[in-house]
Amino acid sequence: MAWMKTKSITTVLGDIMKKTPSEKKIQAKMQPGIITYGGFLGTDKRSYLQIIADDEKSLEALGKTAEELADRLEYFQQVSFDSFEAQAVVDDKWEVETEVVRGYLPCPFMHQGMYRKSYTTVKNLQSQKSFTFSSLNIHLIRVHHFFEGRNSHFRLDPAEIVKELF
Amino acid sequence: MINKILSDIALMSAIGSVLALIMVIAQRWLSNYGEVKVNINGKRELTVKGGNSLLNTLSDQQIFIPSACGGRGSCGACKCKVESGGGPLLPTERPLLSKEEISGNIRLACQVKVKSDIAIEIPESIFNIRRFNSVVEEIIDYTYDIKGITFKLTDGQSIDFKAGQYVQLESQPYEKIKNKVVRAYSISSKPEYKDRIQLIIRQVPDGICSTWVHKHLKVGDKVNFTGPYGDFYLRDTDADILFVAGGSGKAPIKAILEHLKEVGTTRKMTYFFGARSLRDLYLTEDMQALEKVFDQFEYVPVLSHPVAEEHWEGKTGFVMPYFKDAIRDPKHTEAYLCGSPGMISAVTKALKEYGLDEDKIYYDSFG
Amino acid sequence: MDISAFVLFWAAIFTSNILLTNFLGMCSYLSVSREIESSFGLGVAVIFVLTVTSALNWLVYHYILLPFDIVYLQYIVFIIVIAAFVQFLELLIERYAPALYYTLGIFLPLITVNCAIFGVSLFMIIRNYNFLQSIAFGAGSGIGWLLAILLLAGIRRKLKEKMVPQGLRGAGISLIITGIMAMGFIGFSGIVQIQ
Repeated sequence: MAWMKTKSITTVLGDIMKKTPSEKKIQAKMQPGIITYGGFLGTDKRSYLQIIADDEKSLEALGKTAEELADRLEYFQQVSFDSFEAQAVVDDKWEVETEVVRGYLPCPFMHQGMYRKSYTTVKNLQSQKSFTFSSLNIHLIRVHHFFEGRNSHFRLDPAEIVKELF
Repeated sequence: MINKILSDIALMSAIGSVLALIMVIAQRWLSNYGEVKVNINGKRELTVKGGNSLLNTLSDQQIFIPSACGGRGSCGACKCKVESGGGPLLPTERPLLSKEEISGNIRLACQVKVKSDIAIEIPESIFNIRRFNSVVEEIIDYTYDIKGITFKLTDGQSIDFKAGQYVQLESQPYEKIKNKVVRAYSISSKPEYKDRIQLIIRQVPDGICSTWVHKHLKVGDKVNFTGPYGDFYLRDTDADILFVAGGSGKAPIKAILEHLKEVGTTRKMTYFFGARSLRDLYLTEDMQALEKVFDQFEYVPVLSHPVAEEHWEGKTGFVMPYFKDAIRDPKHTEAYLCGSPGMISAVTKALKEYGLDEDKIYYDSFG
Repeated sequence: MDISAFVLFWAAIFTSNILLTNFLGMCSYLSVSREIESSFGLGVAVIFVLTVTSALNWLVYHYILLPFDIVYLQYIVFIIVIAAFVQFLELLIERYAPALYYTLGIFLPLITVNCAIFGVSLFMIIRNYNFLQSIAFGAGSGIGWLLAILLLAGIRRKLKEKMVPQGLRGAGISLIITGIMAMGFIGFSGIVQIQ
């Protein structure tokens, strides 16, 4: 019953009941096994709208916009493409490589567009921390400000990105 | 008193029933489109039940228009020409069609509903695409993340394809995954085997189908797939050949080479297999055996990041610099590439610089 | 009631707005006003449903419920009629205007549970409107509802970049805004009274 401490019953019922049909569909598309194996929400109990709102707050505190983070991720992806997806060192601080597999992933946000299955891994050589993200992630961050739920396979925490990748 | 209650209940039920009846009639009348005729290419005519999407109506008739998104209107792979009877253009189709396509009557088959007689035009090659039932006959572990699965067709079915084409595999529900997904894989076995195909499948991070294949599929499991799709296949000329493919891109090349072993060829062929390190190489002995079978075939693995402990003594770096030695007459050379868009554009650029004609460079791009 | 249908129509939009004066139809109003496009789509569908169901329910009340003396069942019967009509409308639109179905279609089932629809039917009975008055009242209420939801959607769009206190985000601030809008609409109230 831990969730009752942070939310009142009305808010919880509100979460369940007051989603528009398209919001319900989007939440359903983010579940495991619909678009990806692990889904986009990980072990998070919050709705995707709440996740976006909370991450937007973090971004405000960090003084950066989601677009800036998406641009940074795309920068690494582009450098990796230019090096034909093999391992490359960027600015002497990071190592990138990309793996592309056949097929496309649709965006869970109910609009047209299929995104290439290209997975870029960036490693900060000093802290040895690695981040993996796909073309879909860059789109989700740039357009929807969505960084995925806690413990999701491709969750990118805004604070960590700012700390390690800038 | 009790009479009033009973009569009121009866009246209430009557009102409810009348409304329900009206709804049933409305449903029958409005949602029933009866039987309609689908005219294909001016030659074939099918009589079908109306009301479904063009994509599903045709697949019910065993005609499979390609679709990557399962009919959701996201991918645009199901574009086809609708001469008449398709109804007005829907807002869900617009974003995926160009102005020329719209004025040329191109529509998305998954969005067009068949409500009246309809005339369409589709390429003849689509008629060759079928749905197949199979069982898993063999699973080979080629590397730490690549498996080769052989699927044997059941019920006496046989498949007719060109080496280099791919199929769309349907995954089954497993663990917490309740629905099926469809994923494309190149056929890695020779077309001379008409009763079975082999697919080379790599574990994709967070992938629904590849996780199913790698962690759950067993010999004897039933699997469905549709195909063959694609226009990546060997052209019948006598030009020299350069194959470039790494990882799971080896699949169509393997199919082509096995087919050539069957029919025989004297063409000069070189296969550049680019990989990161030793553990990514596989089927090396098979490729080396083929070197002895063909008059002029060379297998050239190139590692970009060999690990010191592996003591790799072969070629290293990117594949492109090694092309030079393999090209005799650039104007009489064809190239067949299979892999990621990045690799394909890099290799294409290098090949053009070496003098190859752009329209003699054939590729199967992953993305 | 002696008010002309024409006056009723305008009164239903401004002075007796079903949402801002009577506070009916809040559920979908609060959740759908997140996006302006959906708000417009839903509002148009509500206008249509309100107009037709007012007419239908008036006919059912006067030709079935009254003669057979089952007026006390009006709540159940009205709801059933509304649900049936909405379902019928969905089928009709899907068949004859598929493009419209795709833009509007998702919102039609949502309308059945909109209490403004039911409220309007009850109001017309309580206030004893005749057939023409009922239709005018229904149409006007629909337009009033559309007006209210569009206003809120526009304001919420502007609010997106602003700092709203954590506890008030979402329903909280929307209700406060609605209250302020309602106070604004009270300014119309001297023009005509219909209740």
